[in-house]
This record gives sequence, structure tokens and C-alpha cells, in this order.
Amino acid sequence: MKISLKWLSDYVHLPRGLAPEVLAERLTLAGLEVEAITHLAAPLEGVVVAQVASLEKHPNADKLSLTRIDCGEAGPLQVVCGARNFKCGDKVALAKEGALLPNGLRISRARVRGVESCGMLCSPQELGFSEESDGLLLLDAGLKVGQPLAEALELDDVVLELNITPDRQDALCHLGIARDIAALFSVPLRLPEAPFEGKSSVAHPSGVGIDIRAKERCPRYAACVVEGLQVAPSPQWMRRRLEACGIRSINNLVDVTNYVLLEYGQPLHAFDMGKLHAQQMVVRLAQEGEVLATLDGKARVLSSEDLLICDGERPLALAGVMGGKDSEVSADTRSVLLECAVFSPTHIRKTAKRHALQTESSYRFERGVDISQTHAVLRRAAGLLAELGGGRLAGEIFEAYPAPQPLRGVPLRSSKLHQLLGCGVEEGEKERILLALGLKKQGEGVYEIPASRSDLLGEEDLAAEVARIYGYGHIPPSPPRMLRPAQLPDALFWERQARQCLRGMGLSEVVNYSFADPSHLKLLGMGQAPVALQNPLSAEMSVLRTSLFPGLLQNIGRAKRRQAESAALFEVGRSYFPRLEGGRGSLAPAVERRELAGLLWGLRMGKRTWTTATEAYDFYDIKGVVESLLGALKTEGVYFKPLEAACYHPRASASIYIGDKAIGSLGELHPRVAKRMDVPSHVFLFQLEFEKWMPHASWQPRPCASGEHPAVLRDLAVVLPRECSYETVVQLIQKAGAPLLEEVQLFDVYFGKPIPETQKSFAFALRYRSPERTLTDAEATQAHEKIIEEISRVLGGHLRV
Amino acid sequence: MQNYFQTLLEQAKQEIGEVEEISSTQLEALRVKYLGKKGALSQGLAQMGKLAAEARKQVGAVANQVKAEVEALLTSAMERAEELALEASLRVPKVDISLPGRLRPQGHCHPVSQTMDDIVDIFIGMGFEVADGPEVELDWYNFEALNFLENHPARDMQDSFYVHPEGFAEDARPMVLRTHTSPVQVRTMQAQPPPLRAIMPGRVYRRDFDITHTPMFHQVEGLFVDANVSMADLKGTLNAFLRAFFGQEVKTRFRASYFPFTEPSAEVDISCVICKGAGCRVCKMSGWLEILGAGMVHPNVLLASGYNPQEVTGFAFGMGVERTAMLRYGIGDLRSLFENDIRFLARF
Repeated sequence: MKISLKWLSDYVHLPRGLAPEVLAERLTLAGLEVEAITHLAAPLEGVVVAQVASLEKHPNADKLSLTRIDCGEAGPLQVVCGARNFKCGDKVALAKEGALLPNGLRISRARVRGVESCGMLCSPQELGFSEESDGLLLLDAGLKVGQPLAEALELDDVVLELNITPDRQDALCHLGIARDIAALFSVPLRLPEAPFEGKSSVAHPSGVGIDIRAKERCPRYAACVVEGLQVAPSPQWMRRRLEACGIRSINNLVDVTNYVLLEYGQPLHAFDMGKLHAQQMVVRLAQEGEVLATLDGKARVLSSEDLLICDGERPLALAGVMGGKDSEVSADTRSVLLECAVFSPTHIRKTAKRHALQTESSYRFERGVDISQTHAVLRRAAGLLAELGGGRLAGEIFEAYPAPQPLRGVPLRSSKLHQLLGCGVEEGEKERILLALGLKKQGEGVYEIPASRSDLLGEEDLAAEVARIYGYGHIPPSPPRMLRPAQLPDALFWERQARQCLRGMGLSEVVNYSFADPSHLKLLGMGQAPVALQNPLSAEMSVLRTSLFPGLLQNIGRAKRRQAESAALFEVGRSYFPRLEGGRGSLAPAVERRELAGLLWGLRMGKRTWTTATEAYDFYDIKGVVESLLGALKTEGVYFKPLEAACYHPRASASIYIGDKAIGSLGELHPRVAKRMDVPSHVFLFQLEFEKWMPHASWQPRPCASGEHPAVLRDLAVVLPRECSYETVVQLIQKAGAPLLEEVQLFDVYFGKPIPETQKSFAFALRYRSPERTLTDAEATQAHEKIIEEISRVLGGHLRV
Repeated sequence: MQNYFQTLLEQAKQEIGEVEEISSTQLEALRVKYLGKKGALSQGLAQMGKLAAEARKQVGAVANQVKAEVEALLTSAMERAEELALEASLRVPKVDISLPGRLRPQGHCHPVSQTMDDIVDIFIGMGFEVADGPEVELDWYNFEALNFLENHPARDMQDSFYVHPEGFAEDARPMVLRTHTSPVQVRTMQAQPPPLRAIMPGRVYRRDFDITHTPMFHQVEGLFVDANVSMADLKGTLNAFLRAFFGQEVKTRFRASYFPFTEPSAEVDISCVICKGAGCRVCKMSGWLEILGAGMVHPNVLLASGYNPQEVTGFAFGMGVERTAMLRYGIGDLRSLFENDIRFLARF
């Protein structure tokens, strides 16, 4: 909202010499945030009101005049001028030497056809007042010579742009801001004059009646009739003020309603009396499907929730939102009915939303307007109309106000204020602030709340008012208090461990949106229906993810499109599954599963290097990442099982198990998914569920390695049936070699000649050690032979020769 | 007999000294010739049995001395030979030290999670527990319990995503993606009695997508409820946090504001970390940056959470992690945080 400082000064005397920047800061600290300060006069520096003292023809040019101009300085200045629309004695705008005009022209002393010219007389166009103009700007004869033009024309205004929080409906006008300033600077507040002391009556003597048929929607409806109007342009001062606030001046009639809106925060509506059919203003709900042509030229199809202002049964206006075409005021309007009403905020809000029609009026009604100021506002408007358009109030203000509510009293104990702020505020200061804000003392520590402050409901609200005017800066900070020491919860601890570990292995962390494209989830074989949004931003973001894969895959799709040669990424985050019994009581609507997922794609070293050339990631890289990660977090008992899943290539995918629980999976991306999602092929993925994994992780060191006696190293190359899994062989070797076998390490896998096609060869490095003594060759041989025997007996394998 | 050994020594000296390019094989041959089992020295010693005891003793001493001298000659010659051989072996082409080494690729932590970790750690240091709650939330927890009234313009402050009710029970209440981490306040208070001190980091969602808004972002919320918690405590705690995070020299400013769930409410600004308060583009020439929203927990929120506002008061605060991360790392475009461009990630 824009506020004119000139306008404000009608109501409060600002301390002399107070810079707008300082005022803005005080307002900001008090909760009226100033977002911008605009000095309107800046471009007219050096332009003053001047009077033509003499006028004669230029000695050397027919079309030019030579003038002497009185601009309040010692002697008149000689100025050459090309315009002809002025005479001696006229007041004009003089751009003095050094002035900078809005069009960028810098004025300097010049010789024009041999005659010196000290400055320039300006046209409206040159001053930026109009797009084009013919001749000089002629000023009011009453203006003072020498006065800066901006000041004389009331252009020297400063406009503050304020961001008003939704609770402060009272601050949506100049008077409201002035009231806060009065409290902040301890200066008195002067209310505008309202010369018409019209009495209220329930019905208009001339016969206009009011019938509120939806009382809960319109607690107060007041109006008056102003007759004998002459529609004309508004005077300069009003135009300037409205324009400063961003409102275009239309004519005196429309301008007065806007002016009063910006002054009091009360929307007014003017109906052309000449266009009213009946002498009965009716406030009623619309019928479903009823149509109203609004001022913006649209035919609005109404709902039975919308409120109408009618004359008789004919709809005239969408109450509190926008007027109708039929009763619009025009240049021929001679008398108007001015409406000043209060409507139910929530319903105005619904209507404005329903019709996507936010107006200055609806914006204020939906925040609530001051129900007590109806008469003052109408009198002020009628007074201005009389002043500007020659109208007069016909009869009295008439109104319907079925159930006036008494003003509320709210307590503020000094002890409570002290408790909330953590410091005391002097009793006198507390009271000064509350009274300056318009509250009245009702009793000891109890204050009557003005109707404009519907936001002040409880003790803490009053405490907040005192605090913001007193200044948060005056509250002394207390050092942090210790309750009890805290530590990182397990879930976060393990997440961080996992992230650091993956980072060390060269994977980078991403943070993707929780939204997903349902078609991607389907493609990845996520069977369960996801949590769907009622109002998504797009189809691609219409559900919550049930897997971290779609986001990661989109990340590498992007990487590839940007010519990357590889990517190694991971994300820690949640997947969301509907909890259909949720949404009742306190039960959350979704099961949120904490997951970790990652992928590898492209060149193993991140790029082609002179040492590794084109080595690319393969299945064993992703498996290695998972094994290293689980190893680093000391997860015991992990094994892998073959897996068939829609997201993985059937040739390379596995479930990751601990005990009888799958804690995750890994594999190569299915080529179908790669193609449909437009991501590169040969992507290797893994995913783990934290909740299932964490109970098996440990931060404790592993048990000590066995002793320092020398070990015996033996290699073992065996030929085995092709289908025999590595895990089976290793488990068998470990069992047969116990207790002397310390370590088994696979170092070669071989298929092909001379080994038959149904078989394969594994070579292991075995390390035997005794914890108590130096192992003899014979003991090691005995253990080794037991292993060979078992491989042959159980797996049908034999030594490779 | 003495002469024999003397001559032998002279001969050995000459022979060992004569060799210019001594190789270890040549030297080994000389060692065998003079000191070997059948070498010249042994042969001389074999003759000594013929000598008288007195003479044998004298000649023996000479023989031992000669033996020691020859050994010393051979050892030093051998060392010289090894040194020469080593030097010869060093005369090979040099490794091109200008070529790049084999890198061990390192990954990078996302700036948002890095920032979140740092925020969490500071508050843990001040004794705040970490609490967690659902992101898919009941409208009641997200709004009503936090004193947002139905159809109040305050709801415009946070445009929400609603969950489609299909599949849920008929009597399921409206469900939203939480628009702030504040519902975790309510759930945490419901779950444990005062005094309570906790922070709640997490993802939040608002239906807004433009150059300065993403539909998802992260917040860290904080709450401290106990008997007689005041704005003075709020100021002290947030000052401590902001100095720990942005540096001891950072200035703070608390100004009045409005949130439905706190009263009084405050916005907290810090002196601009870019221009140190002088005014720049980032702080829009104001010298201040808005960094936190805060306030005293509204009694209605305490009531909705099962606490008695007559017995306890509390402060709450919340901050956007993305904005904090952007300020800290000088990131200009919010959206870049969620594009996950690998070149962007590699900067951290």
C-alpha cells in the first residue's frame, strides 16, 4: 500500500527535519514494513515558479521572444523563448541554469542568435507532465514566485510503499498509519473535518428504504444522497494525492470515493440516483445462476453464496467487491446515493476468490473494516463532494444497523507484559501507548478496544501492541538458558554417516523435489498408488514420490543433455505411501519412509583420463559402493539375492538382505525405463531403507584381529559348476577352514577353455593363522585339504590343474 | 715367509687399484683369488706349519694384518662399485611430473543439507533436541492448531498443496503438504510435557513457483516452552545462534511482525553479510537481511497442544534453509539448488 507523506501531515505533525528514511525505519521496526521510499520531486530540481516581467521580440529572430523573468532572485533573468501562449505578468515554470529536466536535458547558460539566455521556460511536456504539449505551462496566478515548482504543485511528496500484515486492517489507510506514527513519536492525531452533521434515521425522508435480508452477511448498511453535483476534474491537490498513491484520477465524484477509501480505509460506492428504479436498497443473497454486469464489463454468473446490493429486486452491485454497469456514475450524474457498509469478511473473501476479482474494496472488506466510523466517513465524503462538485446532502444519513455490538474490553496486566517481554515497561508508558493507539481505559488494567482493531483479542495482543511501539530493540536479550544437554538423534546420525561415506566414495548429494510424475513411478514398477495432490502445479508433479529413483534419473538425464560423461549421485530423503486409515484423529495421512538411493553412470573416473581412458562403471561398481557403505557403517550379516524388478535389467539386479528382511536393492537400470525417461543406458542404481538397515549398523569398533603370530598364505583355484554362487562357495570355505582360516579373498574368476562351458573357475587367496602360536606347514595343509575335500563333496568342484 | 704376505698385499693393492670400472663380479673374483679357501692367503698360511713357533707367531701377525687390509680394500672397492652401478641405473628417462595424477574422485555434499547440518549442530550445542514429524499433514495441525482461521487472509501467506482424498475414509479431514515445520511444534508438545526445547528441521511445501519461490524448500523451526520464557530469552538465543552461524561481528535487529501462531511476533534481520551493512543489491540497499521469523507462542497454540498457557510461555522461530545457504555460499538463483546440475554440485 502506498502512503503519501504530504497527506499524512494533515493528521500528524512529524518532528521537524525527520528524514523519510528515518520515519520508514521506525515504521518498519513497529511492524509496518516499508518496502520502498519514492521521492516524487527529485526529477524537477532547479525548476521554480517565475513571473514574466517583460516580453519583447528577439532582435535577431522573428519566431523567438526575449523575456525578462522574475524568479525571486536579485535581478530579473534574461531568457529567450520560442512559445507564444503567454503574456507579460503570467506565472511560468523556469528551469534555471543547472536544472536537470525529466527528459534528460541539462540547462546551461547559452547564446541564442546572439542574445544570452539564462535558463529555459518549460512546457508541460518538458516537465514530464504530458506526452505532448503546445506552448508553456501556465501556472496559477496565486503561486509564489521563486518557490520550487515541485513544492508549489505539491509534487514534492514522498511516497512510502508499505507491506501491511493481514492482521492490520486498520493500517490500510492514511489515518491508520497516522495513528501509529502519533503513538511512535508521541504527537497528537488530528482527525479530518466532517462538516455535515447529518443525523441518522432508519429510513430516508424522501422514501429510500434499506432492507437487509442477509443480516449475518451485512451487519451495517448506511447511505446518504448527495444532490446537485457537477461532475468535473478534481483539483490539483486531490489528483496529486491519488496519483501518489497509485490511483488514477477520473473525476471529482469517483475521486472523492477513492480519496475517502485511502483516508479511512472504508470502501464507498456511489450509485447514480438517476439510474435507480426503486427507492429501496435491498441487501440479499444472489440466486444461483443470476447474472450481473460488473463495472469491468464482464457478465458475472453468480452463486447463491454471493451477496448483492439491489434496488428493489434488480441487482446493482456485487456487495463489497464491485459495482454494476447499470448504476455506474457518469459525466451526466447529478445526484448519487453513497453507500457505506460493512460486510462479512469471510464471505467477501470467498466471493472475491470465486470470481477471481480482488479489488481495493474486497481487499479491505475481507480484512474487516471499522464498523463504528460509517457516519464519519459518509459525512467526510459528502463534505468533499460539496467542496469539489457543488453538491449538497439531501436529508440525513439513513441506515440499517440491526445489532450494534458493544466494544470489547481486554485486560493487560503489567505482570503479564513483564512475563512476555522479559523486562518491565513503565506503567505510564504502557498507558500512553495504548491510549495513543485509540484504546480507552475501561477499568484498572482493562482497555476498551476500538472497533477498528478486531485483531486485538487477548492480553498477549495488547502486550504485542505495547512492545512494538515501545520497540523490540529496547528488550534486553538474556543469555541462552541450559535445560539439559542434547545430542543428535540416531536417525540423523546414521544419515550423516552414510552421506559422508558416499561423498568419500565420489558420489555427490542431490536434493530433489518430493513430487513425481505418476507415469515414471509406474514405469519403475512402483505398484502401490502414490499420495496424489488435489491442486498440483503440473501433471509431472502431481503425486508424491514412492521412490527416489525418478529424481535421480532426471538428474542424469539433465547431466547427459549437458554433455557430462558421467555422474555419481545419491539422495537421502523420504518416499511417501498413502496411509488410507490416516487423515483422522491425529494420524498422519502418509507413511513416510526414510531412504537412501544412488546411481553411477558413465566413466569410472568421472571423465576420460590419460591413465584410465574409457573405463566405465559396471554392476560391480554399484555393488562395491553398497558393500563399502554397509562395511563402513559396520553392518553385519548382509547378503544378496537375485531379484526380478521392473526398474532393473533382468541380467543384473539383486535384493540386499539382512536376516529375512530385504533392506534394499541394486542393479542395472532397465533399458526400457532408460528409453522412456530419456536417460542414458548403463546406469547402475541402488536404494536402501534406513529403518530396516539402521538396527544392524554399529559405530562400535570391530573385535580385535587375531594375534601377531605369522600367517600361512595359500592360493586355491577350483573348478565349480557354473550356477554355483560365490556366496555359497565362500560360506563353505569359511566353514570348512574354521578355525584356522582367517580370510578368504577372491582374486580371479574365469570362464572358457579349457574349462567346460557348464563350469567356471574361482581362485581364492586364503590366509591361515592361529591366535596362540606359529602355525606349522602341516597344520595349514591339513586345513587346506579339508576345504578342497568339502568343495568336492558338497559342490562337486575340484582343484584346477 | 713374511715377504710372501707383503708381496701378496702389494699385488692385491695394485690389482684392486688398477681396475678402473670396477664391477662387482671382478671384485668377487679378486676376493676369491686372495681370500678364498684356495686363495693366495690360505696357501701362504698352509706353509706356516713348517716354521718354528716363534717365527710362526711373527708371520701369523703379519698374515692377519695383510688379510684385514685386503678385506678393507675389497670392501671399499665394492662400495664404490655399488655406487657406480646405482648411478648407472639412475641414468634412465625421467617421469613426466607435469602429467596429472590419478585422482581419487570425491563427492560433494549438497549446500542445503550442509547448511541444515550446521544449523542443527549449533542448536544441539545450546541444548535443543531434534524433533521430527510428517510432511503429509492434517490441515488441522498445519493451520487450525496454529491459530490460522478458516478463510482468513493469513492463509494467503501460505498457499498450500492439498492431498486428494480419494481412497481415504469418508470422514478423513482435509490433508495438506505441510507449509511450514510448525505443525511439528504441536505434535511434539502433544507428545511430551513441558519444559520442552526442540528444533524441527525438514521439507515444507508451498504452491508457488517462480524466480524466488520453489514449491518445496527446507525450514528449521525451533521451540522453547517453560515457565517464564520471554522475548528476552528469544532475543538472547537467536543472537547466539546468528553469531555462531554468520560470525561474531553480525548485528541483529528484531522488528514487529505478524504470524497467527505467535504474539508478539517478530521478523529478525541480520546486518547484510555481503556489504556489512553499507547497502548493496542483495540487501536492497537497506543494510539488513531478513533471516528469521519468530515470536512468543500464541496461547491458542499452547491450548491446542495440550499445554496450559497460564503455567507456561514459550518462544518459537523458523528460518528458511535455502535462503540461509544462498547467503552463506553466495548463490544467486534459488532454483539452482534443486536443479542438481553436476557442475553446480561440484562447487561445494
